[in-house]
Amino acid sequence: MSTTLTKPSRPTEPASPGSRPTRAKSSSWFTAQHKLAPYVFVSPFVIMFSIFGIYPIIKSIMLAFYATNGPKSQVYVGFSNFNFMFHHHDFQIAVRNTIIYTLCSVFLQLPCALGLAILLNQKWLKGHSFLRLAFYSPNLMGTVYVGILFQQLFSIHYGLVNRVLASIIPGFSTDFKWLGDPANVMPALVLTSLWLYVGYNMVYFLAGLQAVDKELYEAAEVDGANPWQRFWAVTAPSIKPIATFVLVTSTIGSFQFFDLPYIMLGNGGGPNNAGLTIVMYLYQQGFITGDLGYASAVGWTLAIGVLAISLLQMKLTGSMKGND
Amino acid sequence: MNLFPYGKAALSMFGLAVLSAGWISLHPAPQKKATLTYWTFSKDHYDAYQKLIPDFEAQHPGVHVDLEIVNNNALAARLQAAFLSDLDVPDMTELEIGTAGTMFRGPVKDIGFIDLKPRLEQSGLYDRYVQSRFSPYTSRGGIYGLPQDVHPVQLVYNKEIFAKYGIDPDKIQTWDDFIAAGKKVTIPGKQYMIELSDSTTGSGGLETIMLQRGGSYFDPAGKCIIDSDVMVKSMEFYVPLVAGPNKIGGTTGDFYGATWSKSVEDGYVASMICPDWRTLFVQRGPTKMAGKMGIMPLPAAVPGGIRTSTWGGTMLGITKRCKDPDIAWQFAQFLYTDKARLAKNFQQTNILPPLKEAWSNPAFSAPNPYYGGAPLGAIYAKYAPSVPAQYTAPTIDTAKAKLGEALIDCVKYYNDSGDKGFDDFVRAKLKEKADDVRAFQARNPY
Repeated sequence: MSTTLTKPSRPTEPASPGSRPTRAKSSSWFTAQHKLAPYVFVSPFVIMFSIFGIYPIIKSIMLAFYATNGPKSQVYVGFSNFNFMFHHHDFQIAVRNTIIYTLCSVFLQLPCALGLAILLNQKWLKGHSFLRLAFYSPNLMGTVYVGILFQQLFSIHYGLVNRVLASIIPGFSTDFKWLGDPANVMPALVLTSLWLYVGYNMVYFLAGLQAVDKELYEAAEVDGANPWQRFWAVTAPSIKPIATFVLVTSTIGSFQFFDLPYIMLGNGGGPNNAGLTIVMYLYQQGFITGDLGYASAVGWTLAIGVLAISLLQMKLTGSMKGND
Repeated sequence: MNLFPYGKAALSMFGLAVLSAGWISLHPAPQKKATLTYWTFSKDHYDAYQKLIPDFEAQHPGVHVDLEIVNNNALAARLQAAFLSDLDVPDMTELEIGTAGTMFRGPVKDIGFIDLKPRLEQSGLYDRYVQSRFSPYTSRGGIYGLPQDVHPVQLVYNKEIFAKYGIDPDKIQTWDDFIAAGKKVTIPGKQYMIELSDSTTGSGGLETIMLQRGGSYFDPAGKCIIDSDVMVKSMEFYVPLVAGPNKIGGTTGDFYGATWSKSVEDGYVASMICPDWRTLFVQRGPTKMAGKMGIMPLPAAVPGGIRTSTWGGTMLGITKRCKDPDIAWQFAQFLYTDKARLAKNFQQTNILPPLKEAWSNPAFSAPNPYYGGAPLGAIYAKYAPSVPAQYTAPTIDTAKAKLGEALIDCVKYYNDSGDKGFDDFVRAKLKEKADDVRAFQARNPY
């Protein structure tokens, strides 16, 4: 590629008198190509992104200030959408549920993923490849299948989870309602997503662990560090960039939690909205009620919230300072 | 290569792009030749109509009906989005009763369906139908859907369990009688007298009971009335059925499917609220129960009260983008008003049509072996005229969700505190939820 890009400089070389006009023409063609080529190559993306990315973003900002009945009927309502949203009990429940789910993701899912990665990184462990595949494989299934599967597992009286628990815990009733009792809905969702995503995050941590310089461990051992000290002094700082990445992407993903509760609980968000997340609330308002304006207000609030939390996480973990 | 100096890879990509664009432009999507496109969400409806369409096409040369089956949730979402955005929609579509109201949001001019009221009145169909069935498809004076069904409910029960506990279904007249019998049958965690949910209002639970007692989410003008006296009384009646020490209702959470079938076969639930359409689900699901299930009227709220209610429903709407509304109306009448075809449809679906004159066809009196030879059609037809009206509004989803929340809170309160202060709690809770719905309604600037 580099050789072809230097071709336009060739017309400066001496040329036979008879070929001069052709070369000049060719030269201007190449020059024009060079000027235009980058724009031509990026134009498909720019055009598509403008139509399907930038335009909807701008439009949704405007829509957030309208009450709509689809694109046909719009009435300007100022900040009324935001005002209603912040005072609406269901939105508050959705925010609370989403935060609880996110905290569970961060403080339960990620430590489990890291623990599995550390386990799989041990030399003494047999069957690394099989275990790695086994832990990762739930992620290969579609979320819809996982939702349907766990809906059955958690079902009352006949569900496998209740049957197993009843067989090992004396007095445990098979009528225990995982998805029918508001108190148990979030634990059921957290357990399902733990099964689904722990292997996915484990792969990132494992990659980070395998990249840690072995000599650092040897040096720490020589200095008399025990395994716990080696983890905090060597492993943790070495995998910090990956851990930050996993933390930020998990947080963003958790705030966008939609598919599992939608499949397992239906449109409504479960009993007493116990599984209602912000994105489910947005979906209800935008696509069931049909108020795209209000849904846009919810969407922008979510986007700004996620951006703020991600920036905060990156600041707290020192990731904004760069690679130093 | 001088004319394309960016390497073979870029040239290959460019070539592929040109080739694929050329192929696509030479193979445009085939244009649909259908005169009418018809969406349904029900496999049973789809199968039945497939057999009927050739007759209609033969009677109307040149007319071709394209029947499509679309998942219920997808159908509602796609239709809603298409209506709101002025995009392509089918000429005719069926809609489930729970989602119909959401299509009537916004100004009347924006409703995507044709008002059928003039055609119904002109053809005399309005008077020949069970009129309460128009209520869920009525908005601001217009009727936007032709009801496909009546869906009266009965109780389907396990004959063996009833016999074992000496329960004579003929002697059960009121809910009080039923509850007394239920206390004998119910063994908490193992066997319940009736399949009822303590967390959802649909699926034959609170909603069916409240309709029987004259309750509703909305009044005919679309005002939310879930905190009315009738609704308070309905809630106070329903909650002790599914909560507290004397509960007689339980559920596995599903009202069809493998788990539910097993619960029926195992006798986990001894009876269930059963509209006509569900009798087919029962026949197909717990197949081991063939001949062992009986059918009886719903117990009355008070002596002499109505012995039925309703659960579910389907409307047929003709969209405003329909190319030929007259042909669409003829097809609607062909499906929904021809007595012989309705009888044939009943034989395939167990669904009683709302056209009263059709019920005299012998097919509706034919014995059904699964239910011990009971004439299902005649039984449901007897109670169909009493089916209560259920009024709707665009906020029907919100109202259903809010009533569900109230139910859960009331169940919790009753489990914790019993009768003490229950009336005040129910009233306050229903008022709170009704105000939520009203707040949503108040946001509508149209």
